[in-house]
Amino acid sequence: MTHPGEITRRQLLRRIGMTALAAGPGAGVLSACATAGTGGGEPAATPSTSLPASADPRNPFGVDAKKALEVVIFSGAYGDAYAKEVHEALYKQAFPGVTVTHTATQEIGTLLRPRLVGGDAPDVINNSGPKSMDLAALAAEGHLADLTPLFDAPSVDDPAKKVRDTVTPAVLANALVTGKNLVLNYTVSHRALWYNAKLFAAKGWKVPATWQEFTALGETAKKEGILLFAYPGQKGPYYQLWNVLYTAAKIGGNQVILDIDNLVDNAWTAEPMQRAVTVWVDVQTKYGDKAYFGLDHTQTQIKQLQNKVLFYPVGSWIENEMVKDIPDDFEYAIAPIPEVTGADKMPYGAIQVGVGENFVVAAKGENPQGGLEYLRIMLSKEGARRFTEKTKNVTVVNGAAEGVDLPAGLLSAARAQDKAGQNIITEARFEGWYKELFDYGTEQINVVMAGRITPAEFCARMQKKADDVKKDDAITKQTRSQ
Amino acid sequence: MERLRKYGFVAGFLAVPLTLYTVFVISPYAQAFQLSLTSWNGYSSIVRYVGLDNFGRLFGDEVFWRALRNHGILLLALPLTTIVIALFLAFLLNLGGGTRGAGMRGVWGSGFYRVVFFFPQVLAVAVVGVLFQAVYRPDEDGVINGVLARFGVAPVGWLTEPDLALWSIIAVMVWQAVGFYVVLFSAGMAAIPKDYFEAAALDGANRVRLFFSITLPLLRDTVQVGWIYLGIAAFDGFALIQVLAGEKGEPDGATTILPITIYNTAFSYQKVGYASAMGVALFFLTVTFAVLTLRTTRRERVEL
Amino acid sequence: MAPRTTAPRRMDRPRPGVLSGLSHVALAVWALLIIVPLLWTFLASFKNNTEIFGDPLQLPGALRLDSWGRAWDKAHIGQYMLNTVIVVFFGTAGTMLFGSMAAYVLARYRFVGSRLVYYYFVAGLAFPVFLALGPLFFVVRQFGLLNSHVGLVLVYIAYSLPFTVFFLAAFFRTLPAAVAEAALIDGASHTRTFFQIMVPMARPGLVSITIFNVLGQWNQYLLPLVLLAGAPDKWVLTQGIARISTMAGYEADWPGLFAALSITILPVMVVYIIFQRQIQSGLGSGALK
Repeated sequence: MTHPGEITRRQLLRRIGMTALAAGPGAGVLSACATAGTGGGEPAATPSTSLPASADPRNPFGVDAKKALEVVIFSGAYGDAYAKEVHEALYKQAFPGVTVTHTATQEIGTLLRPRLVGGDAPDVINNSGPKSMDLAALAAEGHLADLTPLFDAPSVDDPAKKVRDTVTPAVLANALVTGKNLVLNYTVSHRALWYNAKLFAAKGWKVPATWQEFTALGETAKKEGILLFAYPGQKGPYYQLWNVLYTAAKIGGNQVILDIDNLVDNAWTAEPMQRAVTVWVDVQTKYGDKAYFGLDHTQTQIKQLQNKVLFYPVGSWIENEMVKDIPDDFEYAIAPIPEVTGADKMPYGAIQVGVGENFVVAAKGENPQGGLEYLRIMLSKEGARRFTEKTKNVTVVNGAAEGVDLPAGLLSAARAQDKAGQNIITEARFEGWYKELFDYGTEQINVVMAGRITPAEFCARMQKKADDVKKDDAITKQTRSQ
Repeated sequence: MERLRKYGFVAGFLAVPLTLYTVFVISPYAQAFQLSLTSWNGYSSIVRYVGLDNFGRLFGDEVFWRALRNHGILLLALPLTTIVIALFLAFLLNLGGGTRGAGMRGVWGSGFYRVVFFFPQVLAVAVVGVLFQAVYRPDEDGVINGVLARFGVAPVGWLTEPDLALWSIIAVMVWQAVGFYVVLFSAGMAAIPKDYFEAAALDGANRVRLFFSITLPLLRDTVQVGWIYLGIAAFDGFALIQVLAGEKGEPDGATTILPITIYNTAFSYQKVGYASAMGVALFFLTVTFAVLTLRTTRRERVEL
Repeated sequence: MAPRTTAPRRMDRPRPGVLSGLSHVALAVWALLIIVPLLWTFLASFKNNTEIFGDPLQLPGALRLDSWGRAWDKAHIGQYMLNTVIVVFFGTAGTMLFGSMAAYVLARYRFVGSRLVYYYFVAGLAFPVFLALGPLFFVVRQFGLLNSHVGLVLVYIAYSLPFTVFFLAAFFRTLPAAVAEAALIDGASHTRTFFQIMVPMARPGLVSITIFNVLGQWNQYLLPLVLLAGAPDKWVLTQGIARISTMAGYEADWPGLFAALSITILPVMVVYIIFQRQIQSGLGSGALK
């Protein structure tokens, strides 16, 4: 594969860690504010557990070495071996003889909501996946430990450095829930369209940069019996909702997503949003296959591995997710969303780069100090590097992926990010803030993609739902400025 | 003394069941009624009373009405279809054989059929759900669509077409339930004295007439029992829909029945108070429905 | 289904022959509708992903047994199966004991408030279970029975009572009174009369409602979902299957999923086939009364 101006692997990796994620123009990420809205009859905020940093840099939180630690991991595309074999092992190494209980689940909320409410919280939780818990509601009840002491603690590798200076700035911006540092996002992922680079090379096809090229390729592929595009319609088609939102951001800039997150009036009916929905519905109608409305994500991904689908909207975790099934003639690569209008606010090449996997520490658990220490160990160079080795995905820890042999897809993502420069599409946070709105969106995206309503109706319905959420004073509101 | 002994016995026999039932069934329901008057979110330590607001909101909630409508369809279609198919199969099993020799007889191999028909009944709903995901797959790799493809029929989106999805799910429930009722009705038919049929057959009545004029009226009670069983089973559609169609009653909420909506409202959206109000509304609808049914089918001694 | 034409068997009279043939067609079609999906599941456990997502009518290319091992190890099917058997056994036993006791007293004894108690039980039929889930969680927690099989068994019993009492009360009312009265006059205690005379007489009704309860509790999904959430090692089969199904999605291990399904289906089938005669006769005679 030849790419103009190719940079070395080493440079790339450094950049993933260092420059990643200074999302949006400007550098004021640290000042990003998410303020708590005033919900009607909300109880007075319970004081969050603030742990004084003790003097010992090797045990800044004063962990009781004999106290057991319980870790619950969302076992999605990254699996749970990284926790069991890396982070928990490192924790046991730090406190010899300590007991660490490990649970892996795909249904975090089902498993843990009753336990938290019932006062039986595990210490560390990876609150991710479609069944994750509402963090704002948990925060309002004081269930989540304040992570500020963690960010201010000395890092494992260099006691002179604070943890906050060893991670990409987006971690700090995304740590805020109702104005407090409560969440650690651990992984970095690249989202756009993914395709088989080897197939393109074999056929002599070029990655389309404009919508015309994109649909023209659709015609070519159709003749070969290949679909231009497919997304999984079953069990939460959120990949396509993301895809449409990111396309809207490419057309109209990140402000489109910011407005949607901030529940700004008519944010959903804005022109870029309408346009984004329209072009994707058009692609689905002309080049899609309605069978995919009934397939889930791995089923769809298997189809792509069989070269039945050209482009698939997803994040860089896909490579690890499908690692067992990738045939020899397949190599994952990322393609930016093509230029839609010819005058998109973001130039061709913009991709979404974001942080993910929400780790929280339970404030009312048995061992919150141990929980913070566990996160500090996760953020050590060794913890992060071995995570990358296990999952073939990079973490938020600067420079931790250096020297690790990364697979082709991830390298293509790094290259794409390098080309994108400052044109990084932001993540939509209403997914975690207003679950009801997000769930409704994943339902309605199928309705519009299947042609049962028009794009304008889709936008109108989403706007109505957003207005309902805005009016509902039982829902805690949050805002963001970038 | 005898009176005392009797009362002691009655109290002794009722104590444990009444306690268990009151503690684990009635008290949670009483709390649910109470919660329906609040805006509790499931996490909060403070519970705020909002009076009948939740019930007012129900009237304007299209999700609730859609769920109610689907629930009604399920409650009618499931018992009706199951009973018709089961009666038909039971009739064939027991009386479909020839009239060779003395009287009517079952078809050859009826023992085998009876065993096979009952199979789905012993499978857990979750198993059935996963199984039918494969059966209903929307592309030509699905079991049904694969067969259809052999005849040149384009794949059908059994679970993805809003007009089809609920019926696809009802079909699975019927598939699972029929065997139980075949056995139930077979037993009923076996109990009908053979000479009834012989007399009628001698009079020249054909099988269809035999069925409608002898079998069906004599099975009335058994069919009624079946109807009540199935009415209860309809509530269990929850698990099947969750596994088969999805958490939110996809597509477009076309397979949403009330349990799905209540579950999501309470556990995904943290509106426990509002969800409880939905449950209470459902309770009163069920009671009304039950009272009406019992009134119209009331019989002397046995309520069944 | 493809229309099948079966030649009518020659009989001494033509009409019944045709009818009998048609009967066989209808019965065979329904039997196929049941056997084919089950067989497909079984075969799919030997396929690999590509074959599962290929032609559904194709046989597996090789007899791959590794998926069975994976399903057994990773999905803890054996553990879940054992848990389910324990819970359903004690749940049904308790339900039958307490349910028949209550039903008997309510059906055969006149005392103040007996109608009221009867309706108190029957009202439980109109409550949807999921409405109670939230509060039930806290009730069970209060007793310290969360994440325990004991708690689940007690809850199963409590929730099975309304229908059991409703059904058995009706059944006990149909039994002749003379035998019990004679026993009482002979000096047998009420308790002895119940266990030694009434229970054997009510056997058909008890068998049929037992089967109903076993099936109902075997299939229960919601109650364990909430009450055993924190203890995955205590989960029952329905939870296990739901989990494997989600897991199959994330790990793309479809053969493992179908192997797990086969592992759960096979023993149940065997047990059912062994007992099918008893089940069918019990079901029939009980429901007829």
